[in-house]
Amino acid sequence: MSGRVLRTPLRAHGSSVLVATLSSAFGVALLQVTGVLSAVIRADDVTGSSATVAVLLVVLAVVFIVIAVYVGAVVTANTFATIIAGRTRQIALLRLVGAGARGLRRTVASEGLLVGVVGAVLGALVGTGVAAALAYGAVAADVMPAFDYSWAQPVLLLPIVAVALVTWLASWVGSRRVLAVTPLEAIAGSQERSRDEVASRPARRALAIGLAVAGLALLGLALVLGLVTPLAVLIGMVGGVLSFTGVVLGADLVIPPALRLSGRLLGGSAPTRLAAENAVRHPERSARATIGLVIGVTLVTMFGVAIASFRQLIHAAQQAEPEVYQGIDQMLDVVTIVFSVLVGFSALIAAVGLVNNLSLSVLQRTRELGLLRALGFSAGQLRRMILAESAQLVFTAVVIGLVLGAFYGWVGAQSLLGSINGSPGVVLPGVPWLVVGVIVLAAALLTAIASWAPARRAVRVSPIAALAVE
Amino acid sequence: MDITTTDLGLVARVRNLSKSYGREGARVQALRDVTLGIRHGEFTAIMGPSGSGKSTLMHIMAGLDSPTSGQVWLGDAEIGGMGDAQLTVLRRRRVGFVFQAFNLVPTLDVRGNVLLPFELDGRAPTVAERDWFEQLISSLGLGDRLAHRPHELSGGQQQRVAIARALVTRPELVFADEPTGNLDSRTGREVLALLQTAARRYGQSIAMVTHDPVAASYADRIVFLADGRIVDDRGAASPEEVSALMLAMEAAA
Repeated sequence: MSGRVLRTPLRAHGSSVLVATLSSAFGVALLQVTGVLSAVIRADDVTGSSATVAVLLVVLAVVFIVIAVYVGAVVTANTFATIIAGRTRQIALLRLVGAGARGLRRTVASEGLLVGVVGAVLGALVGTGVAAALAYGAVAADVMPAFDYSWAQPVLLLPIVAVALVTWLASWVGSRRVLAVTPLEAIAGSQERSRDEVASRPARRALAIGLAVAGLALLGLALVLGLVTPLAVLIGMVGGVLSFTGVVLGADLVIPPALRLSGRLLGGSAPTRLAAENAVRHPERSARATIGLVIGVTLVTMFGVAIASFRQLIHAAQQAEPEVYQGIDQMLDVVTIVFSVLVGFSALIAAVGLVNNLSLSVLQRTRELGLLRALGFSAGQLRRMILAESAQLVFTAVVIGLVLGAFYGWVGAQSLLGSINGSPGVVLPGVPWLVVGVIVLAAALLTAIASWAPARRAVRVSPIAALAVE
Repeated sequence: MDITTTDLGLVARVRNLSKSYGREGARVQALRDVTLGIRHGEFTAIMGPSGSGKSTLMHIMAGLDSPTSGQVWLGDAEIGGMGDAQLTVLRRRRVGFVFQAFNLVPTLDVRGNVLLPFELDGRAPTVAERDWFEQLISSLGLGDRLAHRPHELSGGQQQRVAIARALVTRPELVFADEPTGNLDSRTGREVLALLQTAARRYGQSIAMVTHDPVAASYADRIVFLADGRIVDDRGAASPEEVSALMLAMEAAA
């Protein structure tokens, strides 16, 4: 019964449904395209290696899907946590009249399951539609031969079920704070406690640091062995996965200080100083809002740098034997674009989360915005404050992602190529200017989009809102 | 030529002020033809039961809300017709606010909150303003709290920070909206005494909206509002006298 009172209007879950839909659509589309390609290859099996290729394609698809679903889960957990934080009063009131904390949390999580199922099914339809449009388009354009493929594959259940379950899990994780709300918070004229979400979790921190250190050690080993054998890249991969998992787990350790630093870069006017404080007001929340973007940018940059470094080597070799390397530039371009788009999709999901995070946090600050208006903050200053907040989050994520991605990409290239014929021993990191340019442009666009709606809403807040007693 | 507000020894005034909310048919008349002047250097209490229009009157005088009809001056400036940008600058430089719910910016420490009006104005306080800041901080007993954030302070301390913020720019007029509403009675009396001192010692003009007879008894002048009209206007009075008046008004209603 109390559950019905707590039920969040579906509109508040709009962004979570969108995230689940995107994840599921991505997974389904990727598997459908992979399926079609396998069917085409099987029909035209000259080399007899179609089975191997098909397996390889599926493995690659699964890796990309796992990344997208993971980023989606981080975003969803954060969205739920933010919604809960904004409803502390209401939860406290329900606790006051006798609702159980666990029951309330279950209600919230059941909304998560609903969101996950709706998003997963919608996404399956969208993903299949996109894949079909691509495939039939390719056939019509004579790029691909006609094929025989059933669009209803049992394997598609994997991303669908995974998205539904992971969204459910994410809502469960995100609603942890429900348990911490005390009935007293309904009565006390409680001032917002800005640091309450920072529960120190020593075990998690130790794990994060351990993973990062072990990963870095393996990466170092890969660099050295890379001078001898290309197999060093396998050690590098393990090192990369470990150390990056460490970074993601330790996001609360890494991102808030980075946000503080970039906040200082914004300058010292009142709007930007307040913005800088706002961005680190809920360190854990900001960390989760930005980490998805960090993951996306890191991966895109990593592939870009690795391929660009490879290209430099090829160019050096090309000067000696031009005919052997013909056409390789175009192939590298295609590989760069395909990988960037596939990995970049997780960055898109993360961007949805960032936009939502900013607009929720503005929504929850109505009183404070009213106060600033009453004290003489102009509409323009308010707009600048929110733009600065948005810029700070995006800028921090992009810079961290670029640095990490460049590092991983270079280690990958070095460990794989350091020992091959004609290599100078140390491979210089290549800069994929196109990829970096697209990332920077997309970041600027995201900053503007993320701040647009919240700024509009903030400016509409009347100064009287600050005087009202809730 | 009109007589100006200053000629009258006033810091703010309204003339024939009316305010109504809602559409045709479901109209609520919050203020009916109110004419009032707030005298310079005085601590004025605006009293009345809930729904008497006292908060609306304060919002309009402070430029937070616009009148349906009538004129509003702050100093010699007519603010009734001002746009948002002008009103914003006016609030920043010429008035101060103390609210019931303290209303400090949670991400700033005490120093940051008190100095916020200067920051909003994009300037550093002058030497004289620095001195005044120091003086305020020590007289309000906040000296060892400057680096604390609002959630680390008690309600009374938070309200003292809010008072310091309202006084620090030496505004023409400080508006206080039920400043003791969220405080226990002892802390509330301390806060009222601080406001009284600001008026008596520094000549700070203060307009306080309240429904609490004890709070009103600290004021130099008490204006009674009922049903959107001024029904009484008198000098300082004891809490008992104020209560008696309020009860008489209830009985008459």
